[in-house]
This record gives sequence, C-alpha cells and structure tokens, in this order.
Amino acid sequence: MAKITIDEKVIECRDGVPVLQAAIEAGWDIPHYCYHPGLSVTASCRLCLMEMQLPHPKTGEMGWVPKLFPSCQTPVRDGMIVRFDSEVVRDNQKSCMEYFLIDHPLDCPVCDQAGECYLQDYSQKFGNSKSRMVEQKLVGPKKDIGPKTYLYSDRCVMCTRCVRFTEEISGTHELCSVNRGARREIDVFPGMPLDNPIQGNVVDVCPVGSLLDKDFFFKQRVWFLSGTPSVCPGCSTGCAIRVDQNENTVFRLKPRSNPGVNDWWMCDEGRFGFKYIHDEKRLTAPTVRRGADTEEVRWDDVPEIVSFRFEQHVAKHGDDSVAVVLSPMMSCEEAWLLVKFIRGIAPAATAVTGFVPTVGEAQHFPVGCDAENVKFTILPEKCPNRRGVELIAERAGGETCGFDEFVKRATSGAFSAAWIVGGYPEAWVPKEMTKVVKQLETLVVQDIFANTLTAAASLVLPACAWVERDGSFMNHAGKVQPFERAIRVRDGAKRDGQYLFEISGHVGLYSGDHVREMMADEMKEFANIGDAPPKPVHQH
Amino acid sequence: MPDYETVLLRNVGVEGSRTIDVYRSRGGYRGVEKALKQMADDEVVEEVKRANLRGRGGAGFPAGVKWGFLPKDRERTLLCVNADESEPPTFCNRVLMEHDPHQVIEGIIIAGFATRAQVAYVYMRVEFHEQFHIMQVAIDEAYAAGLLGKNILGSGYDLEVYVHRGAGAYVCGEETALIESIEGKRGCPRIKPPFPAIEGLFRRPTVVNNIETLANLPHIIERGADWFLGIGTANSAGPKLFCVCGPVNRPGCYEAPMTITCEELIMGDRFGQGMSGNASVQAVFPGGTSMGVLKADEVHMKMDFDDPRNFGLLGLGTAAAVVVGDKTDMRDVLRNMARFYALESCGQCTQCREGTNWMYRIASRIASGAGRIEDLDLLEEVAGRMGMMPGLSICGLPDGATFPVRGIVRKFRSELEEHIRGQEPAGAERVLSVLN
Repeated sequence: MAKITIDEKVIECRDGVPVLQAAIEAGWDIPHYCYHPGLSVTASCRLCLMEMQLPHPKTGEMGWVPKLFPSCQTPVRDGMIVRFDSEVVRDNQKSCMEYFLIDHPLDCPVCDQAGECYLQDYSQKFGNSKSRMVEQKLVGPKKDIGPKTYLYSDRCVMCTRCVRFTEEISGTHELCSVNRGARREIDVFPGMPLDNPIQGNVVDVCPVGSLLDKDFFFKQRVWFLSGTPSVCPGCSTGCAIRVDQNENTVFRLKPRSNPGVNDWWMCDEGRFGFKYIHDEKRLTAPTVRRGADTEEVRWDDVPEIVSFRFEQHVAKHGDDSVAVVLSPMMSCEEAWLLVKFIRGIAPAATAVTGFVPTVGEAQHFPVGCDAENVKFTILPEKCPNRRGVELIAERAGGETCGFDEFVKRATSGAFSAAWIVGGYPEAWVPKEMTKVVKQLETLVVQDIFANTLTAAASLVLPACAWVERDGSFMNHAGKVQPFERAIRVRDGAKRDGQYLFEISGHVGLYSGDHVREMMADEMKEFANIGDAPPKPVHQH
Repeated sequence: MPDYETVLLRNVGVEGSRTIDVYRSRGGYRGVEKALKQMADDEVVEEVKRANLRGRGGAGFPAGVKWGFLPKDRERTLLCVNADESEPPTFCNRVLMEHDPHQVIEGIIIAGFATRAQVAYVYMRVEFHEQFHIMQVAIDEAYAAGLLGKNILGSGYDLEVYVHRGAGAYVCGEETALIESIEGKRGCPRIKPPFPAIEGLFRRPTVVNNIETLANLPHIIERGADWFLGIGTANSAGPKLFCVCGPVNRPGCYEAPMTITCEELIMGDRFGQGMSGNASVQAVFPGGTSMGVLKADEVHMKMDFDDPRNFGLLGLGTAAAVVVGDKTDMRDVLRNMARFYALESCGQCTQCREGTNWMYRIASRIASGAGRIEDLDLLEEVAGRMGMMPGLSICGLPDGATFPVRGIVRKFRSELEEHIRGQEPAGAERVLSVLN
C-alpha cells in the first residue's frame, strides 16, 4: 500500500496503479476518456491532467511544478503529492470539454448513449454551457462497421479504447484509426468488418455514443432502464453482468467489472443470448396428466400432488427407484432444495447431474495468445452451474451419477420415478430420452419450453429464466457468484425457488440469500458469498 | 565575416563531392579513423559533451548529454538518424545529403561508435527521392570501402546502416513518432516515459540525432572540442547551417557561426543579399515556421539558441528563415500557418487535434474577409490553451502550431484589425448566419 496525497487528503492505494485509478477508487470523479484499467495507456485525451510536487532541481525543496502530468500515465509513488483541485487543472478540463464538442453534432435527443454518456456528464460537470465555435462543423461519416455494430464517427472523442480492445483483448485487430488531425476517425480495414465473438465490448468501452449496438439501437432511452447485478448463464465462465430492464422487458445485458473472472468483458453469445426469456411459447402454468389430456392445476395444490405422487411411488417400488436430475441451469439453492426434498421422501434416490450442453472448444482471447496471456475465455460448457449441482449432489450423500449414466440405467429400467429439470434456452432433450420416458411411471418435468419430456410427464412445472430468479451459480473454477432477480415472472408462473421452497415444507418467501445461509451450515463454499466485489472497479 | 572557414558545406560545389574518393581526398573519414583507432567510445562521448554540440534538429538539446542517458549496461543500442526535415522552409539536411553524403555517413559511424549502436536507421522523408538514391549509393560505397559493415577499419566495431523512408508526415520528425514509423506503425508520438534512450525503437535503447548534428561530429573529433567551442558563442558553439527563403535575392542554405543576426541572413552579401525588387521585410519566421514570427523591427535578433526567447519565439528551431514581404496580406500568412498544423496534427491529443483545426477555420474565415475583431482574441486564446503549460500534449507539435498563430495575432494585430475594419460591412454576420 502506497500513501499519496491528493488535494491535501492522504489516501492509501494499491501499489503500481496510476494516480487516476487510485483517485477513482478513493472516490474522486476525475474526468477521463482514453484510460481504461483493462487496456494499455495512451494518455491522449489529456483530460485527466494533474499537478504534481517534485523536488526543485537546485534546492531539492518540494514544490508544485509548472507543468501538467497525465494522471493515467503516472504510477503512484509513496509520499507523492498531487492535486486536481487547482485552477490550471480546471482550466484544462474546461478547454478540453470545449474542444471535444467542436465537431460533435450535439444530437443527444436521438443518441442511444444519452443518459449514460460521459460527454454529457463531463460537459455538465467540467465543461461550459456555451461553445464559442461558430465555424462550419466537420461531419464525420456514420458507418456500418460490422454485423452487430454501427460507428457514428461524428460523435467520437478519439479515445481509441475500441482500437486497443481489438488489439489487446480480442486480438483480432479489426479497428484502426485513419486520417490525421481533426479528420482522424476510427475505421475497419476494407473487407474486414468488426466481427469477433467478443466484439460487443467495444460498445461498452466507448465512453460516448460513437459505437452503437445494433441490437439495442433505438430500442429504449437508457434512463428508463434499471439494472440488476446478475451472472451470465451462457457458459461456465460465469461473467458478472448487469441486466437492464424496463417494465419487465429485458433490453440488454452489460458486463460488470469482475476481476479474475471476466474482468470487464463478456462475449456476444452471452450478451445477445437472452432473447428466449421473452418467447411467447414459454410454459407458464403447472399441468398434470389425466389420461391422454393435460389439465392446469393451481399452484397451491402442487406441493400436495408432488408429495403424494412420490410417496405413493416409493411405497410401491422402493426408494432406490427414484432419480432426481439436477439441471446445471439451476441455481445452487434450487438444486439444494430439490435434492433435500427428494431425499426426504426417498433417501436412496439417485442425484443426477443433468444434461451439460457442450459446444466446440474453449475460445481464448486475445486470439492466438499463450496460455499465460489469456485475457478472456469462452468455455464450451454452455451452462452456468455444472460444478454447483455436482457439488450439491455429492454433498447430499447417497448415490450420484452423470447424465449419460442416468440415461443408460434408466433405459434398462433402473428407475421408475424421476424429477427432471431442464431450463435450457434451446431444445435439449436427447433422442434416447424417448426410451427412458417409457420406463418412468412417475415423471415430474420442470422446464422452460414444451418438449418430448413435458409431453410425457405426469406433472409439468414451468421453469423460469435466470433473470426471474435469484440465487447463485458456481463457475468452472469453483467461484460461487450470487445473482439477483431482474424481472417478475410471467403471469401464472412461479419462481422455481419459491415452489421448491414450499414443496420442501418451508413457509414464506424464498430468498437466495436466506437459503444460502441454510446451505452454508453444511457447505462452507456457500458462506460469505456476495461480499463487496474486489477492486479494481471502474465506472465506464 | 570574410574570415569564416566553411566547415559543413566545404565540399558543396566541388566536382564529384558525392563520391568517396573526392570526399577522402579532401580530408574525409579522418575523424572516423581517429575515433575508432585512437579513442574509446566513452572518450568520444566526453569530447562531444565538452564541445557542447547542441542538437541541430530544432530543440537544441546537447547531443553528448543525450547519449549519456543510455543505460550503462545496455546490450544492443540502435541509432536513428533523423532526416525527416519536414519543417516548412528548411532544407539544410537536404543540402548535406545531396552534396556531401559521406560527411553524414562519417557522422553516423562516429555516433554509432560512441553510443555502441550496431544498427543505424536513416529515417528519410518520402519526398526525398533523389536524396534517397544519393545516400544509398554513398552507403554502398562506404560498405565497399570497409567503412560500414563488420569490423570497420579493423577496429572490431560493426555497424549496419539502413535507409528507411517515411510516408509523408510532419509529425514523424518528432523522435518517438519517427521510432513508431520505423517500426511500421502509424506515426504518432509515444508517451514518455520510457524515453527512447531507455526503451525506444523495438523496445531497445535508442538515440535519435539529426543529420546536421551528426555532420558536425567528424570535425569535432578531428579538430577537437576546443576548436568547435571557438566558433560562435559558448552556449551556441560550432558551425550552423541557415536557410533563407521568400522574396530575397539569393534564397538558399548558408553556413555561419551562431553570431549572425536574422538581418544579416537576409541582407548580408554572403547570404540572402537583400530583398528582391522593391519589396521590404514585413515579417520573418526565423526558425522554421513553428518557432514564431518577428516583425520588421525585430530582425536584429541573433540566430543562436538563446536570443529568440527574448522576442517571444519558442527557440532557434531549424534556423530556416522565411521572409514575408510587405505586399503579402498577413491574413493569408495566418491562414497558411494554421492550415499546415491542422493538416499535420496526428490527432491523438485533444488540444492539438481540435485546436489546430479550429484555429485554421477561424483563420480561413478572417482571410476570406468575414473576420470579427473578437476572432483575434479567440484565436489567441485557442492558441494559448494548446500551449498554455508544458505537459498539455504528448509531443511538441501543438506548441509549434501555437507560436506562429499567436505571434502573428499579437505582433500584427493592428494590421489584422485594419483588414477586418476594411472588409465589407456585415460580411462576417452574413457568413456566420449561413454557417449557423
């Protein structure tokens, strides 16, 4: 820990970080565009300049130097004395803000970034209300630079964060800057559009409305959105994200700073993979089979139906004929409640880790880097919680097995009752399941969409998407990350956690935090989850 | 100065001066022999330090001190020779390369030996087509004569020299932009630290020297630092090349000690030989355009490293004087100056990218006859905000853009105001109402 003095206040900061980062972490609002803690330093926006005390070359006495230093490029040193609260620093910020708007079209009313734009914020806080620029503006072109992104170069502040992102993080080098001076603009190389699996991050790193997400384009004013901290369920990396919704509709996902897991980034697959949650074909009500027909039942009756069916079954066929298939799309809390419930009725029931969708191989970024320089990884396991449910199945004691093993044993008639959880965004039921289904006398299926399993089930429970639930996922590295509920469930549906809570005999409202506390008594992995995120954090 | 002995330009006009034989017959390559055979590399550095050889590229930083910044335990050093010479009216390096390439090469070898560089890159601006071929032929001759390559003159010192051609950017004359350009990247100045002496070209310790600086080295080594210090003044020692152009009778590149004045350079018999026709001096940009401007009554300024500051100039610069005659409209000069820097800003730093272009647009409007009196204040302030304080930008280009514009507005304010008052009434309002 280094001790430095900023504006006459002594703060402690991490060693080796730039003064700017230390000041941000200590609560200062220092304007900056080009600096991003995940990217290299170019010190080109010249907005974060500060004054510094240095020893006088002749007398050795410490004093303010008549020079400005970029705080993003100056690493902290113990005993350093700097200031942002001075006239020259403020003068520079003021003139910079005037310069940034010289050729800016001031089209905030039609700009998607308005409301979360650092040109707006800094202009208001550090800039001027009027520009003295009366000449004709240079109008930069609006460009379609890739299948998912627009570039409005007239709004650009030339921070080159996006260029550095494609150079240093994605390693795909699609973006570059062309031309000189005020005509300098960001561009793609001819015939090489911005199209890589993590390109959506360039929109996030853009501090202004220059890079725009086509998926979110003109969809919503950002001040109508409210964000909820969540975890991406797209793969077992477990990127920390923010779910932005308005009136129960999710409009976009944004990554949150999460050192060691996803840093500041997320992949496009995760970013745009939430559309299924608003699919009209989703199941919303519990149904029971009556002969060839199905019939909706009231949620209030579900606990009784389930208990009755399983108790009857165990009495008839013995408790080792029961299997519970825990989906890796479930949260740890839900899996724990379910396995507890089943084992309560059938102590010798087999806990199965559900189907793990796997696509291709791990994709490491920057593309083609060595193992020690990996900045971001998309994993082939397209589910968030395989390790979590495996751990819970194992810790519950008794017999456990994998999904393939389950299919094999069930086909040969080892099980006659099962609770199968799905919840996958895409069709998942393997062909062999048709044979399995025939062996199962009692089948409870909990899934998002109708499929061959729900068609054969004696009881179908609608599952919810992760944005409608709360709980935690354990990622591939064993890190437990809590996520919050972002939107209400559909009319008629009920949160998975809530009905599992009720079935298990608990009274009241389910809460992931509460269940996690109960779990923590048995499993220390789930103790003290949800503490403050580790540094570095960064606002934009 | 009838008794001045020409040093740097002594071979100009001699037949076959580009060839190694003629260069040798006139005493060439004696400096290299002395340095490589009789001196240690640190002795060469000390001698150059003692001679107070200040960089001729514009900033005037002592070359020996610059070499002293190299880490002592370095393994591989690179030498970059700055032959970009992109300051508007400057052509001293060009004359040296055209007429006496071997003098330059000799300087490169001595500098390489002193800094323990194994490779030297001559960074040449792309417009130097002929000069490129002349230098390349001379380098080939030097290789053939054993003056370049492995084991030069049997001393065990190796040096490879490559000529690298730029792609036409003023900013590539800045040492870190030059380094980026040699690396094959976009020519944008780098942030410092690390300074090139510690981590420069290809992340190795690097020295960047101007051609003219290097051309002085053979003479310092051959004749000693004391001889060098005997020319000019203590702070501005040694021979210097001066360019003069504009409406003078004899524009060209001349050599003189740094005791001459700007007036002598324009009027002197050995130099510009006075104004052509019946023109008289209205203004002079004495150090390349980026250093600022002198009024006609300030031309007694000494062309050394110190005096320009007394006249509100940034420095001596490249010591290339552009004379502006009294027939020229200062509004056009203003516009032209602002335009150059607006086109040449690399576009990294906000102040420079936006400020240069803003200044150009204001200056253009003034030149087109739609200026307002308050534009002059605005222009001065915009210029001031780009170079208000050191550290505002990564490189010195915005300072270079500031000084001519601010100089013209300050020193020629009455002329400019007169033009603005004399223009069509309400013209500015009409133009501005169309724009906004």
